[in-house]
Amino acid sequence: MTASPNLLMAAIDIGSSAIRMDIAEMRPGGVIRILESLKKGVQLGRDAFTEGHLSQETIRAACEALRDFKKAMDAYGVMRYRAVATSAVRESSNSETFLDRLLTSTGLDVEIIDGPEENRLTLSAIMDSLRGESDLGKAKSLLVEVGGGSTDVALLTGGELQQSATFPLGSFRLRAEVSAGAVRHEQQIRLFKRQIAGFLSNIKRELEISDAQHYIAVGGDVRFAARMLDRSSQQKRLSFIAADAFSEFVNSLSLLTVDGLVQKYSIPYLDGETLVPALLTYLQLLKETQAKEIIVSDASIRAGILQDLAPAEKGKRLKKLAVQILSAARSLGRKYHYEGDHAERVREISVRLFDELRAEQHMTETHRLYLEVAALLHDIGLFVGSRSHHKHSYYLISSSELFGLRKPELELIANIARYHRRALPQRSHVPFMALERDERTAVSKLAAILRIANALDKDRLQQFTDLKVSREDDQIVLISENVPDLAMARLALAGRSDFFREIFGKKIILREAAKTQ
Amino acid sequence: MSASKPGVFLNRETSWLEFNRRALEEAQDPQNPLLERLRFYCIFHANLDEFFMVRVASLHRMIEVGDNHPDPSGLTPPQQLDLIFNRVREAYEASGTLYSSELVPALAKEKIVIRAPGQLKPAQEKYVDEYFEKEIYPVLTPIAVNVPQPFPRLQGLTFNLAVLLQWESEKNGEPCLAVIQVPGKLPGLLRLPDIHALEMFWMSDAIRRRLSDLFPGYCLLEAAGFRLARDSELELDEDDRCDYVGMLESSLKKRRNAKPIRIEHEPMSPELLGRLQTAMEVEDQALFFTHGPLDPRPLLSIVDMPGYEHLRYRLQPPLLRPELEAEQNIFALLRDRDILLHHPYDSFDPVLQFIQAAADDPDVLAVKQTLYRTSGKGSPVVNSLIRAAENGKQVTVLVELTARFDEERNINWARDLEVAGAHVLYGLAGLKVHAKIALIVRREPAGISRYVHLGTGNYNERTARLYTDFGLLTAAEEFGSDASAFFNTITGYSEPPPFNRLVMAPTGMREKIIRLIRREADWACTGQTSEILAKMNSLVDPQIIQELCAAGKAGVKIHLNVRGICCLRPGVPGVSDNIRVISILDRYLEHSRAFVFSNGGSPEVYLSSADCMPRNLNRRVELMFPLQQADLKERVIRILRAQMTDNQKARILKQNGSYEKVAAGRSEPFRAQERLYLQAREERERVRIMTPVRFVPIEGSD
Repeated sequence: MTASPNLLMAAIDIGSSAIRMDIAEMRPGGVIRILESLKKGVQLGRDAFTEGHLSQETIRAACEALRDFKKAMDAYGVMRYRAVATSAVRESSNSETFLDRLLTSTGLDVEIIDGPEENRLTLSAIMDSLRGESDLGKAKSLLVEVGGGSTDVALLTGGELQQSATFPLGSFRLRAEVSAGAVRHEQQIRLFKRQIAGFLSNIKRELEISDAQHYIAVGGDVRFAARMLDRSSQQKRLSFIAADAFSEFVNSLSLLTVDGLVQKYSIPYLDGETLVPALLTYLQLLKETQAKEIIVSDASIRAGILQDLAPAEKGKRLKKLAVQILSAARSLGRKYHYEGDHAERVREISVRLFDELRAEQHMTETHRLYLEVAALLHDIGLFVGSRSHHKHSYYLISSSELFGLRKPELELIANIARYHRRALPQRSHVPFMALERDERTAVSKLAAILRIANALDKDRLQQFTDLKVSREDDQIVLISENVPDLAMARLALAGRSDFFREIFGKKIILREAAKTQ
Repeated sequence: MSASKPGVFLNRETSWLEFNRRALEEAQDPQNPLLERLRFYCIFHANLDEFFMVRVASLHRMIEVGDNHPDPSGLTPPQQLDLIFNRVREAYEASGTLYSSELVPALAKEKIVIRAPGQLKPAQEKYVDEYFEKEIYPVLTPIAVNVPQPFPRLQGLTFNLAVLLQWESEKNGEPCLAVIQVPGKLPGLLRLPDIHALEMFWMSDAIRRRLSDLFPGYCLLEAAGFRLARDSELELDEDDRCDYVGMLESSLKKRRNAKPIRIEHEPMSPELLGRLQTAMEVEDQALFFTHGPLDPRPLLSIVDMPGYEHLRYRLQPPLLRPELEAEQNIFALLRDRDILLHHPYDSFDPVLQFIQAAADDPDVLAVKQTLYRTSGKGSPVVNSLIRAAENGKQVTVLVELTARFDEERNINWARDLEVAGAHVLYGLAGLKVHAKIALIVRREPAGISRYVHLGTGNYNERTARLYTDFGLLTAAEEFGSDASAFFNTITGYSEPPPFNRLVMAPTGMREKIIRLIRREADWACTGQTSEILAKMNSLVDPQIIQELCAAGKAGVKIHLNVRGICCLRPGVPGVSDNIRVISILDRYLEHSRAFVFSNGGSPEVYLSSADCMPRNLNRRVELMFPLQQADLKERVIRILRAQMTDNQKARILKQNGSYEKVAAGRSEPFRAQERLYLQAREERERVRIMTPVRFVPIEGSD
């Protein structure tokens, strides 16, 4: 058999109203080519958002859909896949049973992902679809995805992520909430609009969307609108639709009942249920911005997964992602009035120490990123109070949502930040002990570095801007030309380097630059 | 809409009868080779049988459940039945005359003799009698008909003899009725020994000669043949607005099943006919007298008898497309270009090789195909699929079991496929899968490639020699991804996606056709060139007809080539005077469906598995596909135009619903089916000449 050098991959996304899969191959040059896209309507959202758990029929339907998907994967010999479940499964009380049933009946391992991870995946796909659109360059763009159970909103400037957030406003949720009360169609539409308007003020409180110049929309419902309004859009990654045309289209759809939509457009009933609430949400958000058109991207969470799965691109993408995550961390820091200069200095010093130790300690690029985020956020607990502020930092970080980071990752970062002062990790510390063993090791190492970095900028004078790190036998030698008097720093270090020594087996020595010649 | 006024719609049944009359015309045409005329005569009757069993039965059902809705042409079911019976009676008259006073004498001239009962030579008489005693007598079972008891259940479409008898001892008693069914196992025509000619004798006549042997002690008063047609009992007619079979109560159903839809009979006395009629409870109008053979099907054995080539059409062996001549790997060829096949001018072999290559090629991962009607067990397509499954490829086959009258034949080889490991689907609930598509997924050094065959006709190498059909072989990405999506849809793996190129019924094909017709009308309104060329087997769908009329009114020139039923009445002033409808009946059964929209100068060409009938657009899974390559589009347009210029076998539909041959006038005779074959051959020759001769020296070893 001719061996194909191309990697075959599959991305599965278990959403609120459908289970979808893309099978793709990676062509030379990192081009991902979608071979097949499958979609099966399963009413996970209806169960999750009204009953709080998934019914037996729904679980059975999901198993059946995935069994079929598995057959399609097998036809290509797909080895690498990632299957994720989003809000509907996340919010169901029996989600673990559900995942277990999927695993035993299909052999597919499905993981539940949270809002920020979902955002990261979609955003990485959107960025990819926007490549080459120079017009979007500098201006501020609002990015919106209305799902069945939640709406993801993000702000980009100059192609960089500024802010992102997830709101529990979804087409399925809206439908479920409204149809409980309203009987008449017009009444339902009015209630949709009122509900959306309520969320709109929440969104505007968190994100500055009113000056966004571009409006980028993703999601199945808005893709449908793009297809209807732009017949040539089938193969396009981006469709541009005038705001007026979009508004007119949405209004004409809201005149039709679900049955009417299903008949007119021959779409599955489940799609007919979500279409109008979703499009109304897109429309109302659009009206809050300066954008004159809606840019519909064909990007999906699946495209993001496929990019993750493609190995060649991984390094480049991680770098890009790291930039986005740090920018999200700074935005969180600002929310808690952090001392930006101090945070940046501590981050820089931490990174220098890390880079020196990295190779022998088998630490990775991801660890470096955790350390940076922890360094940026280590003091945000001061927002609550200065006493035990490291503990406040811990819970503020661990209960936040940070773009691009999954819950367990955030937990790890929160632990690092927690140990930037005072007590060392102990068996009695529940959040620390809740980590896996290798995670605990990582937390200790990274916290030890953070402690040193923090000590060196204890006076908030940002003097150590030129720190050089070198090594002499079992000692780490730090040299600075800038700092005339190292006495203060040595004092600060004295009480804080024991932990470092215990973890790495190395002493930290602070030395003036040799003024020879 | 003005088009819905009665006037533009022709009644579907009478249009079908017109079609069958054209088949009879071909049988009548002395220009046609004799055995081909005989074939058309048989086709005419076979068609009529099916028409009664399906259409007439369906009208009866409508009447029985009290549905008196008029059809689009304004006729109620009883009115339609009256029309049908009158026309069919005329047709019987014509066909009977044709048989006895033209075909039989003409055959005799060619030394194909069908002996009349009194004309046997002595040696033949002896042979027939011996045959009767050895082969016939043991399998015959005369059944006495006693009125209080139900009439014996006779098989439909077989020959039966009705006999009126009397006890020899009781000459004044009431005559009694008996029936003899001629078993289907016996040949309908008996070959007689003769050295000079092909001599035949009807089996029914052989029985008639020795009837008294069957009724010892009786005096034979009269014997005459009759033949029944029954409701096919399947809900074959999908055009009906509701399930009439389901609506009938079971007791009523039983009674109607016993009751024939039609009785054909030989000349018989009013008494015998009356007794038959009473016994079977049929009305007068269901009785049809014929002086031709009641069951003409055995005549087909003469039609295909080896030898006699001069009495058949000259052979036109299907030709290999010149692009395929070089015999390179078909997959490699398709990477550069699409290939359009026009059967039966172009050989069907490349399609068989396509599937076969998939079975044996180690790089092929999966083969998916729909099968509607194949040649059954031993079909090369099925064998290839079985081999592919055995070779470990993922094979998915959708077998349409409800394909008319084919159920039994389908089920056996479908089992074989399953045993070999293929994923076999037996149709979809509520939808018949009529689309013709095959997909091959292949792993290649550059990545996954998909190869697709799309057709207007079935994967049946036998009918591919007799039916005209288009087929497209392509490796274009959009078709490959659409084909995958199509199979994911029909296997239930996925919901129907938005397609790139394919247009699928029942989800979107009707809408797409209407959009295309309306766009053409828009072109006409702006004064641009606008024209629609369309070819299909049947045009019945009222909505499509109305849209065509509207486009015609807007100024679009519309040329329709509709082989069978056409419910659009052309030439109605102000409604359909821009529409011309022709129908071609010739040696090949016109079966391809194609649509050309001139689109203001950049024409679009679509080929389709679907006719414009409500059942095709609403309740069948069908596929329509556009041609992308300019040269292929041109070729289809050329073919469609050639058919429009036919002045030998084309008939034009007149405003009154009847058809008449296109008058050749002074123009040169143009017979499209012949011309297209010659063109295909010329094209092949041209390519051959243009292929440079390579001089490859063969060197001897020193």
